[in-house]
Amino acid sequence: MHPVRLALPLVFASVSFAQCEPLTVVSWGGPYQQAQSEAIFKPFTEATGIEIKVLSYDGSIESINERAVAENWDVVDMVEDRAIAGCEAGFLLPFDAEEIVLQDQAVPVRQDFVEGAFRECSVAQNVFATVVAFNVRSYPGIKPTRMEDFFDVEAFPGKRAVQKSPDAILEWALLAEGVPARQVYDLLSTDRGLKLALRKLSEIRDHIVWWDDVADPVQLLANGDVSMSTGYNGRFFSAASNDMLPITIIWDGRLIGHEVWAISNASGRIADAELFIGFATAPEQLAALAELIPYGPARRSGQLRVGLKPDGTIPMRDHLPNAPQHGERFLTRDTVWYAHTRDLRDRRFQAWLNEKQD
Amino acid sequence: MTERKNRESRTQGEGGAFYRIVTLCLMAVLVGFAVSLASIAFVDSFAWLNRALLISPRIRVQYESNPMLLVTATLLVPALGGVVVGAMFSWLSRERRSLGPADVVRAAQLNLPLPDFRSGIVSTLAAVLSLGSGASVGQYGPIVYLGAMVGRAAAYLRIRIQALPTIAIACGVAAAISTAFNAPIAGLVFAHEVILRHYSMQAFAPTTVASATGYVVANVMFDRPALFLVSFSGVGHSHEFILFALLGVISAGIAAIFMKMILQSAALAARTRLHATLRTGFAGLAVGVAALWLPDVLGIGTEALRFATIEGAFSSLELLVLVAAKIFLTALCIGFGFAGGVFSPALLIGILSGALFWTMIDSVQFVPHSGIAAYAICGMMAVASPVIGAPLTVILIVFELTRNYDLTIAAMVAVVFSNLVSYRIVGRSLFDLQLERQGIDLSTGRDKARLDAMRVSEHATGDYARAGPDEWVADVNARLDRGNWKEVYVLDVEERYLGKLRHEELTAFGNARISEVVVPPELEFNERTSMREALEALGSYAGDGVPVVLSNDRRLLGIVTKASVIRAYLGEVDSIRAEENAPG
Repeated sequence: MHPVRLALPLVFASVSFAQCEPLTVVSWGGPYQQAQSEAIFKPFTEATGIEIKVLSYDGSIESINERAVAENWDVVDMVEDRAIAGCEAGFLLPFDAEEIVLQDQAVPVRQDFVEGAFRECSVAQNVFATVVAFNVRSYPGIKPTRMEDFFDVEAFPGKRAVQKSPDAILEWALLAEGVPARQVYDLLSTDRGLKLALRKLSEIRDHIVWWDDVADPVQLLANGDVSMSTGYNGRFFSAASNDMLPITIIWDGRLIGHEVWAISNASGRIADAELFIGFATAPEQLAALAELIPYGPARRSGQLRVGLKPDGTIPMRDHLPNAPQHGERFLTRDTVWYAHTRDLRDRRFQAWLNEKQD
Repeated sequence: MTERKNRESRTQGEGGAFYRIVTLCLMAVLVGFAVSLASIAFVDSFAWLNRALLISPRIRVQYESNPMLLVTATLLVPALGGVVVGAMFSWLSRERRSLGPADVVRAAQLNLPLPDFRSGIVSTLAAVLSLGSGASVGQYGPIVYLGAMVGRAAAYLRIRIQALPTIAIACGVAAAISTAFNAPIAGLVFAHEVILRHYSMQAFAPTTVASATGYVVANVMFDRPALFLVSFSGVGHSHEFILFALLGVISAGIAAIFMKMILQSAALAARTRLHATLRTGFAGLAVGVAALWLPDVLGIGTEALRFATIEGAFSSLELLVLVAAKIFLTALCIGFGFAGGVFSPALLIGILSGALFWTMIDSVQFVPHSGIAAYAICGMMAVASPVIGAPLTVILIVFELTRNYDLTIAAMVAVVFSNLVSYRIVGRSLFDLQLERQGIDLSTGRDKARLDAMRVSEHATGDYARAGPDEWVADVNARLDRGNWKEVYVLDVEERYLGKLRHEELTAFGNARISEVVVPPELEFNERTSMREALEALGSYAGDGVPVVLSNDRRLLGIVTKASVIRAYLGEVDSIRAEENAPG
C-alpha cells in the first residue's frame, strides 16, 4: 500500500499534463497565501505539472455559496467549523481523507495527524491560534500579559480592535471572568453563559474598534489606531518579523483552531483536488509552510521537520501556536459546537451590538 | 520459661504482622486500581448518556434551532428514564431499591454482609441511567457503593486476615472518593470518618494505599479533570470569619430541611399506591417540567456550580428559586425511586445558598468582603458536610481541589459550625437517619448498634432439663438430683413452653403433678430479642437461665444463661477492640 501511494503522483502527473485548465485553489490572501504559494502551490505544479489558479475569499460559507460555481472552485482552505457547516449544508464534497493523505514512514496517519483531523468533508492541515496582540509602544511601562488585561482598560488604556463576530471574543470574555478553559464551552452553551460573556464585553464596549478583514488588525496596530487587537498569530508574526512593526502577541488564552482543506461541490476535478490535498498535507510541505508563517503542521511528522525561517534568522518552532513556552492556558476550538451554534451566537452578538445604538 | 514463651509469641506476632502488611497492601492496590477504573467507567457512561439524550447543555445548544425537539427531550427523557429505573428495581433487583453509602455504613459497622451482588449491580446501572437521563440526583453515593462492592469482592480472596471484609470495603470506598474528587487525602479520611468510624493502623495503611492508587489512576493515567477549579486571592478582612460562621449556621438549617425532605419524600412514596415505574416516572416528569423554566435543575448542574462563583451570574431571586427547586426535586427524585446520591445536589444547593448569602452581604454597602467565591465555596461545603456527616473529609476536599490555604480555613469555619448545629437538630448524617429508620442506631457508637443487631437466640442452648405437665414432682426431682440440674423447663407434648421451676422450689412440694405447681414465666426472650435487650433484662434478673420462646407458636427454642450472654458480649467487644487496635 505504501509504495503504491508514493507512485500515485507520478501516475497522475502523466495524466494531468494533458489538461490545460488550472486547478482552482481558494485561500485567504495576504502573507498566508504568499507562504502557501512558496511552500505548496509552486512545488505542486513542479511535481505534477498541474497549474494552480489561486483565488482569495473571506472564509465564509456564504462566499462559497455565492462564488464557487461561477468561479469554478476546486479546493478551499477553510477553518474547520466552517467546513463542518459547509459540509452539512452540502456546499462541500465528502471524501475519504485517510486514503488521500500521504503516510510518513510507518506511522499510521490517524496517529500522525492531530485528533479530529479527519472529518467527512475536510482534513486538517495546519494549526493556528487566534490571539490578542498589542503595540509595544502603547505600553512603555508594564506590558499586558494575560487575557484579563485585554478587558482591563484602566490598567491598560487604549482602544481594542475586535473582529465584528462572536468568534473567540465570547470565549475570552469568560476566561477573563475566571472560568477555567476546560469549562468555557460548557458555560457558553447556556443562556446565562452567553449573557455573562456579553456583559464582560460591555465593560470595554466604548473602547472597541471593529474589524472585518483579516489584514485590518496589523494595520490598526501599526497605525496606532488601537493599542491591542485580536487576530491570527501568523499575521502578527509576519508584521513583527518581516515588516519590523512593534507588535507582540499575548499567548495567554490563545484559541487554537484547525485550518483544513475541503473540496467545493462545484469542482469537476475531484481526482486532481484529492491529489492536491495529499500533496499539500505532506509533512515536508506543512513544515515548509510553517517556516514561512507560524501555522503549525497538523501532523506530528510535520512538526518535527519545522526548522529555520528561510532567511536563516528565526527558529520557527518557537513561534508555533503549540510551543510549550506560550503557557498553559489555552482553548481548543470545539469546531462541531462552533458550526452548530453559529446562528445563535451571531444572533445574540447582533442583538448586543444593536443595544449599543439605542 | 514464661519469658521465652512471651518472646516466641512476639516473634510469631511480628511474622504475622509482616504477612498482614504485605497482603493487605497488595489487596489495597488491587482494589484501588479496580475501583478507580470502575468509577471512571461509571462517570463516563452517564456523561455519554447526557450527551446522547440531549441533557448536557453543550449538546442541547446545538439543537437550539429545533425547540420542539428540545422540549420533547426535556419532558420525556427524565420521565422515561424514571420508568425504566422503576422497572429495573421492581423486576431485576432483590433489594428493590437504590443502594448507597448507608448500606455500606451498615455493613461495616455491624459486620454484616453488603446486600446481594445482583442488587448492587442493578442499583449501579440504575444510577447510571438516572444520572444519564437528567434526574436531580448525585453521582458520589453510587460511586461509594460501587467502590464498596468491588472492595467486598476482594474480601473473598483467601487471605486469612481478621476483619478483612471491613478493611476491603474501606479500601474500595477510599479509592472511589479519591478517584471521583481527585482528592486522595479526602478519600482516606472519608473511609475512616463515614465508613469505619474508628482509627486503626490495620485499616489505615491499606486505605491509604488504595486511595493513592485511585489517585494515580485518575490523575496520572487518565488525566481526569478536577471537579472544581477556583482562583481565590485570599480572605481580605478578619470580620469575614464571623460571616463564614454565620453562613455555617444558616447552611445547617438548609441541610436539615434537605435531609428531612428526603426522608419525608421516601415516606410519602411508600404511602402512594402507584407502581414503582409510574412513581419514578412521575418524579422524572416533574424534573422535566421544572427544567423548561429552570434549565439549571437538569442533571448534576456543573455549569450552575461554576456560575455560582461568578458575581452577578444569578440574581438573588434566581438563587432563591433554584435552591428551593433543587431541594424539592432532589428529595422527590431520591424519595420516589431514582438511584443516586445526595452529595452533588447538596454541593449545588450549598454553593447557590452561599452565593445568595453573598448577594445579601454585598447589598449592605458598608460591609467589605473578599468576593463571592469564598462565600459560595463555604456555603457549598457547609451544606454538604452535615448531609454526609463528614466535616473533615469536606474540609480536605476543599483543600485538595483548590490547594488554597485561605479558602480551606474559611470553609473549615463554616463547615464546623454547620455540623455542630445540624448534629443537634437532625443527627449525624442522612445515612445515620436512614439507618435509624431501619432500627439501627449508631448515635452512641457501634458497640450498641452491634449488640442491637445480635440476636440472643444465636446463643441459646438445647442443653437443659425438661419435664412434661403430667409428670409427678417426685419423679422430676429425682431426675434433677441425678443430673445435678438446678432448673427444669416445662413443655407440653407439642414442645410448647409452659413455665420453669427451680429445683429447690420443687423439693418443697410433695405429691403433686407438675401442671399444678408450674408458674407462668418470669422472664423470657424470643427469636427477635437483641443482645442489648437481653443484657439490660438480665441485669435485674435473679435466675440463671432464660428461655427463648418462638413468638408465633410458643415452642421453646432453647435457653440462654447469664454466663453465655456475658461471654457473647465480651466476645463482641473483644472483636471490635481487636479491629480498632490491631497493629499495622
